[in-house]
Amino acid sequence: MPTIRSLMEEGPIAINLGLQGFAKALQDQSRPVIQVDWSPPPPQDEEMQDILDELL
Amino acid sequence: MSSREIAIKKNRYFDSVFLMTVTRRLSEQPGIENAAAVMGSPANKAILVNMGFAEEALAPAGPNDLIVALEGDRAAVRRLVDHLEEWIIRPTPERTGPMAISFDDALSRQPKSNLAVISVPGEYAAREAHAALAHGISVFLFSDHVPLEDEIALKRKASQAGLIVMGPDCGTALIGGIGVGFANAVRRGPIGVVASSGTGLQEFSCLVHRAGSGVSHGIGTGSRDLSDEVGGLSTLTAVNALEDDPGTRVVAVISKPPGKTTLQRIVERLNRCGKPVVACFLGLAPDSRPENARFKICSTLDDIVTAALRLSGEELAGWPALSADQLETLLHGQVRRMAAQQKYIRGLFAGGTLCYQSQQVMRDAGIIVYSNAPLDGMRQIKDPNTSIENTLIDMGADEFTVGTPHPMIDATQRIRRIQAEAQDPEVAVLLLDVILGYNASPEPAGDLANAIRAAKRTTADAGRHLSVVASVCGTDGDPQGLEEQEEILREAGAIVFASNLQASSFARDIVLQRMEVLG
Repeated sequence: MPTIRSLMEEGPIAINLGLQGFAKALQDQSRPVIQVDWSPPPPQDEEMQDILDELL
Repeated sequence: MSSREIAIKKNRYFDSVFLMTVTRRLSEQPGIENAAAVMGSPANKAILVNMGFAEEALAPAGPNDLIVALEGDRAAVRRLVDHLEEWIIRPTPERTGPMAISFDDALSRQPKSNLAVISVPGEYAAREAHAALAHGISVFLFSDHVPLEDEIALKRKASQAGLIVMGPDCGTALIGGIGVGFANAVRRGPIGVVASSGTGLQEFSCLVHRAGSGVSHGIGTGSRDLSDEVGGLSTLTAVNALEDDPGTRVVAVISKPPGKTTLQRIVERLNRCGKPVVACFLGLAPDSRPENARFKICSTLDDIVTAALRLSGEELAGWPALSADQLETLLHGQVRRMAAQQKYIRGLFAGGTLCYQSQQVMRDAGIIVYSNAPLDGMRQIKDPNTSIENTLIDMGADEFTVGTPHPMIDATQRIRRIQAEAQDPEVAVLLLDVILGYNASPEPAGDLANAIRAAKRTTADAGRHLSVVASVCGTDGDPQGLEEQEEILREAGAIVFASNLQASSFARDIVLQRMEVLG
């Protein structure tokens, strides 16, 4: 399991959620990064999402 | 005849930066007085209601739905609504490769992931950050408006797991020489820094680089980390990590004034640090300085860089600075051309911490300043859009950035404001910061150059001389190029300094000189 120490030793290996420019800037610095195609959870599913999170 | 219309596009999600560009383009269309393209989150809907749009019309929109709100000439509004699709065509992202459909999908494709960079809207950010921590992944949390209780819960969880949450509201980090968020191309070196302010970290790391040294790691912690509610949880984690890091010889801590209890907690921790420590609590009144600190506490960003360089044991030249004689000559050349009524400073900042430091420079000289983010002892401005007397404005503050891009990305609001300040016959000096680096505008100085030229022309035509004083926060390795950006500003007529402190000090001297002349 990574820790802050491994982050500092290995440098960022990133998962980017949100602004794609942040992923591109990391790529421009030759760092591995994966962009998540993120969208907000539908509000009515909040309770269901908590249950699913719990189960998973 | 003026009309307001709301158009809703169901299940069309776009990120805020893209929507800001749509908003701006729509606003610029003839006949349009007000435009906003936002996702239908409760917060955005409340803003639109405040702007005068009907609550009932907004009700059907959910967080996954795009809302376009338009106000203006009826025919112009209608024309845009009828052709809305043309305005929301998203440019194909460059080189970011195939996207993962979820966090878990991303992790399965890149199992060694060690950092989640999260910039989704604040109300959803905590859930994503918790998911990252649960997988043993540290978090860089750019999102703001994350509830305080979520921040505390996330940071406690991270501390227990040996991880860190940088943020919320964290703009900058430098991890092993790699810039995350709004960061500059800074060489690696012996100085580790922990900062609760993004532009504070940028200015610090750029000056360290310009002095010839480098940064081992620059760890952002978010603007609330040193409040008594959060208690400096991420700052303490970062100090521990830098103390253990073999590449770090000196630990620097930068923040605005911490909460009282937290300040003591941080001082006690830093007193026990096994490496040389230096700190700058920007804006902290001299009589509030902790007496038990066994490390140097600096009052400016330039001072903490100098102290950190000294502690690192390297013999370095420092960054460019004018001699006292050169400054005197420059000052005289500026003030002698000013008209009798010119006496005030107007500062328009992209960097919140730089605005803060400039206020401190003015406060130390006894100059009272109005601001939308006032330092202790300064005055709260009533209307942030209208300057009075001496005014320093953080144009990256919430009131300027709801639905519009941050001034580090888009200069439109600063350009308008520069024009407005130039009309005021009592203004003597305009103080600006220009911030380079990853994710900032590709041409930050060029964006402002025409506005600076126009401002100087306007004042010259009216028989006045306006001093435009700027500092550029950047390095020679930044995508925009430090020298190129400085040259663009000089050609436009600005006096360019290497640091915000230098620029602020020169602008202060102009104000003091004018006060003296005018009695």
